[in-house]
Amino acid sequence: MKRVLEGSQAVAEAVRLAKVDVISAYPITPQTHIVEFLSEYCANGTMNARFLRVESEHSALATLIGAATTGVRTFTATSSQGLALMHELLHWSSGARVPIVMAEVNRALAPGWNIWTDQTDSLAQRDTGWIQLYCENGQEVIDTTIQAFRLGEWVNLPVMVVLDAFFLSHTYEPVDVPDQELVDRFLPPYEPKFQADTKDPRAFGSLVTPNAYMEMRYNIAEAMEDTLSCFEEVEDEYEGIFGRRYGSVEPAHCDDAEIVLVTSGTITSTSRQVINDLRARGEKVGLLKIKLFRPFPVDMIRQTLKSAKKVAVIDRNISFGASGIFAQEVRAALCNLAGHPPVFGYIVGLGGRDVTADLLEDIYWRTKNNEVPEKESIWLGLQEV
Amino acid sequence: MAEKRELKSVVPLLIPRSYMSTESNLTGSWRFLKPCYDEKTAPCSTACPAGEDIGRIEMLMTQGMFKEAWETILRENPFPAVCGRVCFHPCEGKCNRGEFDDPIAIHCIERFLADTARRNESKPAIDKLSSKQEKIAVIGAGPGGLAAAYFLAILGYTCDVFESMPEAGGILRWGIPLYRLPVSVLRSEISRIEDLGVRIHTGKHISQDFLEGAGNDYSAIFVGCGHSRTRRLNIPGEDIEGVENGLEFLRKIREGEEHSFDGPVAVIGGGNTAIDVARNIIRLGSKALLVYRRRRQDMPAFDQEIQMAIEEGVEIRELLAPAKVELNGNEYTLTVQHMKVAGKDVDGRAAIEPEGDKIEEIKVQRIFKAIGEEAAEVWYNPPDEKEGKLILSNSVLVSRSQGAALVFGGDLTNKTKSVVHAVASGKEAAIALDIFFHEGFDAIEPRLKTCAVGDGPSLSMEIYMGGPRSQRNHHIVQYDEINTDYFQLTSRVKQPRLLIEERLKTFGEIDLKISANLAMREAERCFNCGLCNQCDNCYYFCPDLAVIRDNSAQGRHINYDYCKGCGLCVVECPRNAMVLEEEGQ
Repeated sequence: MKRVLEGSQAVAEAVRLAKVDVISAYPITPQTHIVEFLSEYCANGTMNARFLRVESEHSALATLIGAATTGVRTFTATSSQGLALMHELLHWSSGARVPIVMAEVNRALAPGWNIWTDQTDSLAQRDTGWIQLYCENGQEVIDTTIQAFRLGEWVNLPVMVVLDAFFLSHTYEPVDVPDQELVDRFLPPYEPKFQADTKDPRAFGSLVTPNAYMEMRYNIAEAMEDTLSCFEEVEDEYEGIFGRRYGSVEPAHCDDAEIVLVTSGTITSTSRQVINDLRARGEKVGLLKIKLFRPFPVDMIRQTLKSAKKVAVIDRNISFGASGIFAQEVRAALCNLAGHPPVFGYIVGLGGRDVTADLLEDIYWRTKNNEVPEKESIWLGLQEV
Repeated sequence: MAEKRELKSVVPLLIPRSYMSTESNLTGSWRFLKPCYDEKTAPCSTACPAGEDIGRIEMLMTQGMFKEAWETILRENPFPAVCGRVCFHPCEGKCNRGEFDDPIAIHCIERFLADTARRNESKPAIDKLSSKQEKIAVIGAGPGGLAAAYFLAILGYTCDVFESMPEAGGILRWGIPLYRLPVSVLRSEISRIEDLGVRIHTGKHISQDFLEGAGNDYSAIFVGCGHSRTRRLNIPGEDIEGVENGLEFLRKIREGEEHSFDGPVAVIGGGNTAIDVARNIIRLGSKALLVYRRRRQDMPAFDQEIQMAIEEGVEIRELLAPAKVELNGNEYTLTVQHMKVAGKDVDGRAAIEPEGDKIEEIKVQRIFKAIGEEAAEVWYNPPDEKEGKLILSNSVLVSRSQGAALVFGGDLTNKTKSVVHAVASGKEAAIALDIFFHEGFDAIEPRLKTCAVGDGPSLSMEIYMGGPRSQRNHHIVQYDEINTDYFQLTSRVKQPRLLIEERLKTFGEIDLKISANLAMREAERCFNCGLCNQCDNCYYFCPDLAVIRDNSAQGRHINYDYCKGCGLCVVECPRNAMVLEEEGQ
């Protein structure tokens, strides 16, 4: 049924439809609406879930690790400082192989205090063993969140569904909310592969010596690798039932493109319009949206970008001392490909600054007019200070 | 559809999990500290002269177990409806909650429980021991004598109570005014004592001969004759007609005699009797002037009573010592000597001396003396002889070589003259006699110590009879032993009272009842110091799942095979009902 929903409510609706058993979260702007909706659902009986209030994000995730170990479906949501506070337990949850799903609303890190969108918070957690999926609009948010449970439970890894602060979390859009019956078909009750059980007590997360630790890490690496194809299968099934798919990456007009813009999140939507305008003016430009960031879909990116002359990666994030993080990843994906195109990196829109169509077009012309990148990443739109 | 491929990671899933059950790992072997359930003593219960199990009463109250809560009072005190009204509640002064916000309004809850039981015509289930051959005589049906008879009956003794007045109750019936204690309330308490088999013979005046001649019929005699004579002022004119005894005045009012005054009335004294006389005069439509030789803060009357007397319009004249009384026509002139403070006396009250020769004449229509009471007969007091005499906390036992043993109780053996102290003396006498009959004179003192509440001197009948309370640790829980993180500041229930204008028109009860929901909310404020109220904190906090719920009285036990002795349960127990001991002790 089509409804006009705020991005936050799209998340909450997906969690409701997924019949999550345990939710634990600590409120932080701009994630707060998500947990407000969910606590209301739990309170009024719309959801038959336990909503556990805690004193911090650290405790929220710790709580869910415990809950998930008993074999129930779990969900949390956070943002920025909250995610940073979870850092230790992000590693723990992937190491413990519990398929917790988290909605992560991209928000800038302090100081200075800033509640607006910026991808640095989630990208800084790229090495924690979480699957990361970046969304472009409300429909993608609801679909991806439902898929996240299926995916995570399949490969036993935690999943982060990432959405831009305000541009997505607080924007109302028409969203097709799937029927419960169909969601149940797509997402049957969670069947855990292991379960803490007081009747058969086992120790979880105990000491592992050097002769076994590496194998366990390799096992996670394999699971991440499998995730690439598992995600495709999950999407296949989802498409079969609901008629929608997004792809780990989504190329647009890339077949004959000389310059490809690489984007993620809501900047993609603006870029689509810019690409169309430029194409109408005869420019051979394409667009590659990256949705799946962990595991990084190296093969598909290579496949899409190998024939391009230049690649422009747009980053709403910064790894200080290096460059934009997507640019790093794309460079790394291409570097072993003989004759790969040069990668131009651009830093834009940090702390929620608007990324306009004009700015995106500027990126295109800069890329076209320079033979090689003058720097790893160029900061655009800086004001005189 | 994409081509399905064999997944590498799903089987096997490598996680750090023990291969076998961890039950074989008896983590209890790591323990060097051992948590135990250890119920302790609440400070209120030791402050209560009757040793009421207040923490438990409040707990039962919060659980809606009103009858059980009332019976818990009755195990230690036959007069909950009376004490809920007139007791000066020393318990509240020692309430640990007082250090947090305000003490629990224990007296309000006591009264609520007693009134509720009365309204429901509840019959208490009180254990009574099998009949014993000894018969006991009780002289005086005041609170001390009735309490003695009540507890003796519970211990299985046959009791005859002799009362000179036409109705039982003593000071409760003939002294305490109706606005503090309605007569119907008292009667229902006394009838419950009679239901236990106690025989009360009213209108029976007992003379000293009885002590000597009664030995054949009775094994012991409890003497609780109280104070019935007002002390003399020893000033000129005090015997003039119209200079009356305060206590007698109160009695006449309670007998239904009508009084009216044409003008102001002087009341001499500063005790509870003086205050009651003054407040009666106000209700009879006249002006009352309380003349006291020390200061207001030195008055022996209970502070709350003084406060209410002032609210009702009683005028207090301090530092005035009566010097003489004269009658001119129908007006009395009370001449008073102005006094001044000169240090402190032995009791810590102000010592006084005349302020030069400054005197004053006070013109009044009537004068009441209420400077303290004394025994009407010398033999009401314990004898002077030392032989066979045991001076206990609230009573005096005299074992005689011939004739019945004597126990003196009530106001005549209590430093503080209060209803609850009288009850304490009756209980002490009953237990002491029971020990005396079965274990002999020398066993009395050591055995009484074992049934003390905390460090005494309050005694518990339940402990004496070996009830669950006898398992408690005598340690008195201090405020800093309470985990106050589990409590929120909440205001104490406010005792609703008749408006002052209403009070002055009638002898109707001033303190009004509180609703069940207020009483329950008030009881919920109680820390239940040292008592387990089954809050389950230990169960929830135990990281080893070693707290096992069961059907025992405690409701749970600790599985020491797995308890590591971390002590979380003890720390998180809000009310100090657990203890952490060194292993092997």
